[in-house]
Amino acid sequence: MVKGKKLISDFYELRVNQLMDKRVWDLPLVEEKEDVHHVLSILGGRNHIWVVKDKEGKELVGVITEHDVLSVLAPKNFPSYVFGMPDISSIKHGTAKTAEDVMCHKIIDCKPDDKILDALTKMVKYELRRLPVVSDKKLVGELTLHQLIRKYYAATQYHPMVEDEEG
Amino acid sequence: MPTEIFSVLLLVALALIFARILGYLFDRLKQPAVVGEIIAGIFLGGVVLAVFSGQILVFYDYKLSLPQLDFTSNEFVLLAEIGILFLLFISGLETRISKLKKMGRTSSFVAVGGIMFPLAFGVFSGLSFGFSSQESIVIGLILVATSVGVTVRTLMDLHVLDTDVGTTVLGGAVIDDILGIILLAFVLGIESLMDAVWISVRIAVFFLIFLILGLRIIDKILDLGERIHLPKAFLSIALSILLIYSFFADRAGISGIIGAFIAGILIGQTVRSHKIANDVKTVGYGFFIPLFFVWVGASLWENAGDDPLSLAVIGVFSAVIIIVGIAGKIIGCGIGAKLAGMNSRESLQIGVGMIPRMELALIIVAAAISHEILTGEAAHQILVTTVLLTIVTALVAPFLIKATFKHS
Repeated sequence: MVKGKKLISDFYELRVNQLMDKRVWDLPLVEEKEDVHHVLSILGGRNHIWVVKDKEGKELVGVITEHDVLSVLAPKNFPSYVFGMPDISSIKHGTAKTAEDVMCHKIIDCKPDDKILDALTKMVKYELRRLPVVSDKKLVGELTLHQLIRKYYAATQYHPMVEDEEG
Repeated sequence: MPTEIFSVLLLVALALIFARILGYLFDRLKQPAVVGEIIAGIFLGGVVLAVFSGQILVFYDYKLSLPQLDFTSNEFVLLAEIGILFLLFISGLETRISKLKKMGRTSSFVAVGGIMFPLAFGVFSGLSFGFSSQESIVIGLILVATSVGVTVRTLMDLHVLDTDVGTTVLGGAVIDDILGIILLAFVLGIESLMDAVWISVRIAVFFLIFLILGLRIIDKILDLGERIHLPKAFLSIALSILLIYSFFADRAGISGIIGAFIAGILIGQTVRSHKIANDVKTVGYGFFIPLFFVWVGASLWENAGDDPLSLAVIGVFSAVIIIVGIAGKIIGCGIGAKLAGMNSRESLQIGVGMIPRMELALIIVAAAISHEILTGEAAHQILVTTVLLTIVTALVAPFLIKATFKHS
């Protein structure tokens, strides 16, 4: 187990950009004004979508997960105390029209040169399975729990943790 | 042997049980649960206290002496006041500044019209019934804030949430809630015109220090809260911020509830807020907030005179205020909507949609009473009027809203 300890501490010290998925062109992306039905069509196959201002600049403005869609797909049931600004977006009532209406605005992200340890801590803290990798507000990749598990397991099987640049 | 403090426990338990049962019944009848909770308070404060307070019950050999049940005891009032703070804190947490900016011109016009007319009508009615000018301003203020809850549910039942009317009404209601809270800060402190200037300065300073400074450091404080690895330590820190803000707002002379609202907005802007929003609601909705509504209901019995003349006066005054409250919103919001370019039918629908008053009206009365702006008989009269106003508008508005949409 001593070896495992050494391995995991090496793993923690790696940088996000060494393990992240850099194929931005392959990530699920929509623009914020995109129709909600397009969002649904993507989410049928993916677990999440990153919402960007426009596909050119790739400025990240939100994220939509299955759970966000659940709250607009299910019938709205307001508690009888509604005070303040209730969330009224719903497919049934036609108040969820674009990606922007459905998405979660508050994004927890990480930077390319953050340590894997910090990324893992963030995932635990906010109960997330994936983090967008953002540099200068621009989406440059994503880091999923899936990848991290796969890479770590591969490392225990004597594969190199970091693939060659062309990976 | 039984300590004084503990006699409030029975009271709190009774309050929660009755509030929830009556609230549930009203909810089943598709009426706002809040009305049920207030009625629970009226029932408890009148009937139950009169019958059971201080009684000794004897079952065979076992004697149970009930304590003096008193909803105006310091302990109970404190819990109810914390309920108010929670209501405003939650309201602040759910307020998105970014969404507010998008509300647009029509909603602002509607909100402003819906404040000016009811305020003027209320003040005028108060003065003509012989209330002092400060009392009359409170009456006007009570007519200002629209309750979003009732309207949202009705618009949803009618499937018109996504229309221009729906979005305008919701936006207007949110804006006039916020403006109502700010106006309240003025009214609670103003005694003369000179005061108005002084109060504005204090509000400005308070906002400057606590909002701007808050935006910078609150994230760091919350961060500290997160590092404490004890269960729900983060919630404790957030609640402490709420209480500290309320305390300092109160000391600045602009009422603790404003501090609570600002604390809510500040924490609501941070990334971490969705982690605690549910916890805050659990504590607030589950414990403190029902106690506030029960307390409002029970307070109706306080200073209640039983001579028929004063009851008649209250009856007439309430009727006037209810009519003025309904007319004020229809006219004010209607004109606002019309000015912003909507057609007559839509303007009427918006005016009608803004009729319901609920939480903030009650909060305003409660705050005015606890700041001793309203005292004695006037306090009683205005409280009764406000409760009747909230109940009647909440029950009547859905029918009116449905009626205006039926023809279109």
